[in-house]
Amino acid sequence: MNIKLNKNDILLIIVLLIISIICIFILNKNDKKNKVATVYYNNELIKTIDLNIDKTYEIEGYNGIVKIKVKNQKIKVLEEKSPLHLCSKSGYISKSYETIVCLPNKIVIEIEGNDLDTVVK
Amino acid sequence: MEIKKIIYLSMLLAITVILSIFESFIPLFNGIIPGLKIGLANIIIVYSLYIYGFKDTLFLSLLKVLLVGILRTGLFSIGFFISLSGSCFSIIMMYIVKKTKLSIIGVSIIGAIFHSIGQVVMAIILLKSFNLIYYLPYLFIFSIFTGIIIGSISKELIKKIPKYCN
Repeated sequence: MNIKLNKNDILLIIVLLIISIICIFILNKNDKKNKVATVYYNNELIKTIDLNIDKTYEIEGYNGIVKIKVKNQKIKVLEEKSPLHLCSKSGYISKSYETIVCLPNKIVIEIEGNDLDTVVK
Repeated sequence: MEIKKIIYLSMLLAITVILSIFESFIPLFNGIIPGLKIGLANIIIVYSLYIYGFKDTLFLSLLKVLLVGILRTGLFSIGFFISLSGSCFSIIMMYIVKKTKLSIIGVSIIGAIFHSIGQVVMAIILLKSFNLIYYLPYLFIFSIFTGIIIGSISKELIKKIPKYCN
């Protein structure tokens, strides 16, 4: 199979690469300190987790219990019941724009930068 | 409508459904972005767009989303709406871009890019999680490569399997 690109294709690829690299650069700069993880079930906020405390949490999802683990200011889904286990495979997240989405369990975990020094439990 | 055309389109539909179900068994960089896929089914969509035109392809793709919804993701689930929006975005944009000087590979890249935009926009609306937009730049880089792969395969396919009916 030979891949033939014409000039316009190459121009398109270069423009897209530049746009995405600039976006990634801007996003990485936006990372805040003092982060909390918020857990949503069916678009409702059900739990706020302080990432400074290493602990394992259990949350009721649509298909059963979802285990969430916090370690070294990072958060991951340990166990959940779903056909593909995409969210437990997606591993640790720690940056303030990262998200774990668990569609079968209707659970979304977001990390939010917390500018104020508040304790949320 | 000619029977031959209906038969060919339904065979293409069967192929897309099988490809997209087959693909969901292949794990691909699961650690980086959830649900990242090459989009093998889009080979047929791009092929059909060039051979049968916009209307038939849109119809083909909507039926594909419906069938995959019934068979795998669940009808009217969140995943169903995400893939519906992705497919519509990508086909409409490919149709618009097809008229420009871009080759089939460029059109396929645009299709892949807008597929991810459509999916992310729908996911943001349904999950009310604006943070998901941060996936987009990573998806863009990946889409460029999948677009090149899908476009090249479709190009070969058009050469090998030309139009059978008008």
